Amino acid sequence: MSEGREVLRTEGLWKRYGRITAVADISLQVFDAEVFSFLGPNGSGKSTTVGMILGLVRPTRGRALVFGADMAVHPWPTLKRIGAVIETPAFYPYLSGRDNLRALALALGDIPSARIDGVLETVGLSDRARDPYRTYSLGMKQRLGIASTLLRDPDLIILDEPTNGLDPAGTREVRELIPRLAQEGRAVFLCSHLLHEVEAVSDRVAILKKGELVAQGTVDELLGRGRYLRLQAEDRSLLVRALGNVPWVSGLEQHDGYVRVAVPANKAAELNRALASQGVYVSELAPSETELEKVFLELTGEEVEP
Amino acid sequence: MTRLMAAEFFKLRKRMMTWVVAILMVGLVILLYSILWSVSGHVTTFGENNQFTGQDLRRALFLQASVPFSLQVVAAFGTIFAMILAAGAVGSEYSWGTVRLMATAASGRVRLLASKLLVVCGLVVVGTLLAVAVGLIYSSIITVTNGGSSLSFITPGFVRDQVESLGRTLFVMAPYVTLAFAMAAIGRSTLAGVGAGLGIAFIEPLINGLMRLGGSPWKDIPNYLINANTDVVLLQNKVPDVIRFGPTTQDLARNHVNGVPEAMLILALYSAAFIAVAFLVYRRRDITA
Repeated sequence: MSEGREVLRTEGLWKRYGRITAVADISLQVFDAEVFSFLGPNGSGKSTTVGMILGLVRPTRGRALVFGADMAVHPWPTLKRIGAVIETPAFYPYLSGRDNLRALALALGDIPSARIDGVLETVGLSDRARDPYRTYSLGMKQRLGIASTLLRDPDLIILDEPTNGLDPAGTREVRELIPRLAQEGRAVFLCSHLLHEVEAVSDRVAILKKGELVAQGTVDELLGRGRYLRLQAEDRSLLVRALGNVPWVSGLEQHDGYVRVAVPANKAAELNRALASQGVYVSELAPSETELEKVFLELTGEEVEP
Repeated sequence: MTRLMAAEFFKLRKRMMTWVVAILMVGLVILLYSILWSVSGHVTTFGENNQFTGQDLRRALFLQASVPFSLQVVAAFGTIFAMILAAGAVGSEYSWGTVRLMATAASGRVRLLASKLLVVCGLVVVGTLLAVAVGLIYSSIITVTNGGSSLSFITPGFVRDQVESLGRTLFVMAPYVTLAFAMAAIGRSTLAGVGAGLGIAFIEPLINGLMRLGGSPWKDIPNYLINANTDVVLLQNKVPDVIRFGPTTQDLARNHVNGVPEAMLILALYSAAFIAVAFLVYRRRDITA
């Protein structure tokens, strides 16, 4: 994808709590009109990083720049351009959903009450808007969290596990909403451990392990899309030998039932000809894609939630 | 700042706790007036040396002493409610996790905390005026029904006294309110604020008594603490001795307490120190939950 205007940049961000390093040397960039996903197991430092981006947590070293402003020094008025829900949504339990947004709107200023009704409508909470927040289900709390981020019409939206607790219909709505927000020109910073969700909506992904960034790139780059070919033949040993004879074939891996090689998809026909010239006829020749789950497992050594 | 105060006021106005403490305050004024009225009709003499009569007590409930008496109730009980309000305004944000929501919506942490403190102070003033208003109404009824309908005692000097009494009462409440506020901010919980405030309010007088008995250098220490100086300032409110809660002029003279200006200075320093600590900690500390 082509890079747009830079919205967020972290430069060598560190956070230490005594001897514990929560975040180590995180450098990343997020651009407008993209969905950037921040993946990592629990306790990997996602929330601490988000805290530093929002100016809530002071970096031990490095800095987080949002729209060019150092968030540890001058978080305001940049914060006005950010809508964020960190970890689970938190609101005043005795206030209704609408009054919670009203309290937030009063603090932010210049937000008409029509906008409150509008965002409640967007997230499908209009019917329960006057009920106390404490009576809301987890899914409704998530919806109110998303509504609160939209309230200020932000240029950067930070969502932490936004589909947590939502029913299938709600999950689908949120997954449709996230790319739509990016299409409107906003940058979306999505923290999630639901890999299929990330894979479905993200333009770029960063993977965090024990506070360190272990991978960063477009989803295609991380999954190796277009870089690998998957082959099958009746005689597998013959196939492997023939592939070894093709000088521009590299990265040969043998898996259960197929062979994978690091050859761009656009050279599939050429490879087929090279194999045929050696008397090897493949029964399958197709682009090979790694699932994000596999990449995540390899990089973090973590179990993945279904 | 104005919009942050509007948001804080909106939240506190919608909160049940705010109304509960207001109702309790008003109820206490009514209850105490009712009890004292009843007592005044049942006793002939009372007090340590039987120096007061039932008639003295009844006259003390008339309109003339209504404001200082109501303010005395506020100083004794309202301070506790004010501490709960102040600690709750800060501490609850941590227990609900809303501290991050508001911190990202506010134009700076100092402004956020300042708006909370100002709104709490405003509500304490409103609550105090409400208690005084209820006291005036109840006292007016007592005065009129007992043939004391003359309002000739209302002179400019009398009005000035009442206003000064109000100011003194709010002034002595400030160290307790700011202590509860600061401790809630530092301890990130309502309980920390209320606990610290109530601890000082109730334990300090006991410790002071022991220190007074301990001779030098212990006996002078209470003069630098909050409670003894609070008593000095509140004694300036013209509450008739028959309905006075705290120590008398003689009690304070025996303990060689500070003069009024010194007492006020010490209380002001405590308030300023508590506010400074709260702001310093809140401004610098990470907001993680």
